[in-house]
Amino acid sequence: MTEILKVENLKKSFNLSRKQQKLEKTYQKVKVAVNDLTFSAYKGEIFGLLGPNGAGKTTTLRMLATLIKPDGGNAFIDGKSIINEENEVRRKIGFLTSELKLEDFFTPNYLFGFFSELYGVDKTTAAQRRQVLFSKFGIDKFAEVKFGNLSTGMKQKVSLVISIVHDPELIIFDEPTNGLDVLTAKVVTDFLEELRAEGKTIILSTHIFSLVEKLCDRVGIIINGQLIALDTLENLTKEKNLEDTFFELYEKTTGDRI
Amino acid sequence: MKNIFTIIKKEFSRFFKDKRMVITVLLPGLLIFAVYSLMGTVFSGMESVDENYKPKAYIVAAPQNLEETFSSILEITEKPSLEEAKKAVTEGELDIVVVFPSDFSQTIGTATPPDVKIFYNSAERNSVYGYTFVTAVLGQINTSAFTVNAASDKFDLATGRDITGNLMSTIMPMLMFALLASGCIAVAPESIAGEKERGTMATMLITPIRRVELALGKIISLTCFALLSGISSFLGVILSLPKLMGGMVGAEAAAFYSVGDYFMVLAIIISVVLVIISAFSVVSAYAKSVKEAGSLISPLMILVIVLGMATMFFAGNVPHVAIYIVPLLGSGLAMSSIMSFSVNPLGFALSIISNLVITAAFVVLLAFMFKSEKIMFKK
Ligand SMILES: Nc1ncnc2c1ncn2[C@@H]1O[C@H](COP(=O)(O)OP(=O)(O)OP(=O)(O)O)[C@@H](O)[C@H]1O
Ligand SMILES: [Mg+2]
Repeated sequence: MTEILKVENLKKSFNLSRKQQKLEKTYQKVKVAVNDLTFSAYKGEIFGLLGPNGAGKTTTLRMLATLIKPDGGNAFIDGKSIINEENEVRRKIGFLTSELKLEDFFTPNYLFGFFSELYGVDKTTAAQRRQVLFSKFGIDKFAEVKFGNLSTGMKQKVSLVISIVHDPELIIFDEPTNGLDVLTAKVVTDFLEELRAEGKTIILSTHIFSLVEKLCDRVGIIINGQLIALDTLENLTKEKNLEDTFFELYEKTTGDRI
Repeated sequence: MKNIFTIIKKEFSRFFKDKRMVITVLLPGLLIFAVYSLMGTVFSGMESVDENYKPKAYIVAAPQNLEETFSSILEITEKPSLEEAKKAVTEGELDIVVVFPSDFSQTIGTATPPDVKIFYNSAERNSVYGYTFVTAVLGQINTSAFTVNAASDKFDLATGRDITGNLMSTIMPMLMFALLASGCIAVAPESIAGEKERGTMATMLITPIRRVELALGKIISLTCFALLSGISSFLGVILSLPKLMGGMVGAEAAAFYSVGDYFMVLAIIISVVLVIISAFSVVSAYAKSVKEAGSLISPLMILVIVLGMATMFFAGNVPHVAIYIVPLLGSGLAMSSIMSFSVNPLGFALSIISNLVITAAFVVLLAFMFKSEKIMFKK
């Protein structure tokens, strides 16, 4: 098993403004969002980070994608550190969340070319890749339609394809099916399974049990910024279903009754 | 009817709860007050020097009783002939020419009163000063006894070129700054705060593009867009000049300036747009939305226009060449000096260099902001 992602004692806190303190109903000035996270992901697997709202999933994935810097610990993607080898890391990962948008004004063709250039993919490789990916996802017919005029499903496909213009080893996906209807959600899950079949590694975050059950090989359960369980889906669901396992762990960790 | 009041109450409480909105509304007034007070203090010193100035005058046939007064307030200058004297006024080397009719003493106070002719140059500050001064002095004598400039001679000896230069150097900096700034405000918030707000900036930030490249790419292209509007405004002003001057100069006005002058103005416009665009970009990168960027930029916009207006106070007299280093103000002064055909090459160069240095600093700052998670991904 080749280790593609290695996360070591990753930590991140945020200083809360007054407004945020009110929102979070706390008097503490500092919010520990990710607390000493350690795990690995291996080639060809889908790794799921499962956790409730505010658990620290987005924060973790943003650190891995080099959008924000950890306060402590480190993570290595294919041996490159997210702290001091940011640009190497960026070349090796594809990052997707519903917060990353493409400009409505441009066509899929243009966007593919634009991001290929930013990732430093040479023109011939980019052209070949575009042809393969566009025909695989049925984007060909819409390649010259402005992004803003595409259907939601087609927009999602284009976003997925754009995120892998540079053929990354690791795909990081925050809440892959959040806010999508069943058809579009299937586009996404099919896409991820396809990538896994090609030997890519995927790390995704979600709070949806069924998504984990459908896709993930291994699961990390994250609550209050801490990883409280880490195992294969099989092992986690041996005795009871995933939902019951999760709530049991949740009650044990937080002391709250649900 | 009662609901009008309900709405007004709601609007008022909304408005006064938003500190930023209140500040944005009040800031322009404060800014103008601050800048003008400052300018006033700086210039009060310069104006007082002017009051001791003795206009250089050539006087023909001054009545004996006035000779003494004139020699105490004017610097009486000899010229070989009236024509020579008038030429000297046109060239700005003499301030005024006063011509008394030879029968002044005989006709004064009669039914056909004498007419005193005062020739001046409206494009020269000292000449206008001398003209007003002498007119005022003559006005203190019995005014119904004689007339001043009642004849239909051409008393203003300024050439079309001088008048053009004078007008253009006064209005151009302010006009151009206002037009350039509005060109910049039309593009910067949309391109930077807009991309941030819509989430398309983050999509670029996950790629390995260097942040400085992103900053430079943005600023260069935004500068080009703003320049388009800047250059078209400049041409608009130059071409409408004959109309603007109400027939004082003809269509040849634009030709008073050489190709070199136009290139210098272009260089100034480019450097000014770079400064404004990069400043607006930094503010836009800080803002969470296009709307916020707009409200944060508006005081800057006023500052730019006020700096453009401030060049008028100098009226061509820059006390020290170092003033050209002051961003935008220096550019305004340089532009003004080109328009009045009296460019100071060192000042011109300093204004351009200082703008480029400031732009470079803003680009670095912008790149730093693109790197900062607090700015790009704040909650
Ligand atoms: N920029 C920030 N400033 C302050 N606090 C933050 C910031 N980003 C995240 N947090 C806080 O850190 C905690 C973890 O947030 P995060 O977004 O990582 O959770 P999540 O697991 O993705 O939750 P969700 O399911 O809501 O997306 C939350 O309490 C959140 O409010
Ligand atoms: Mg999240």
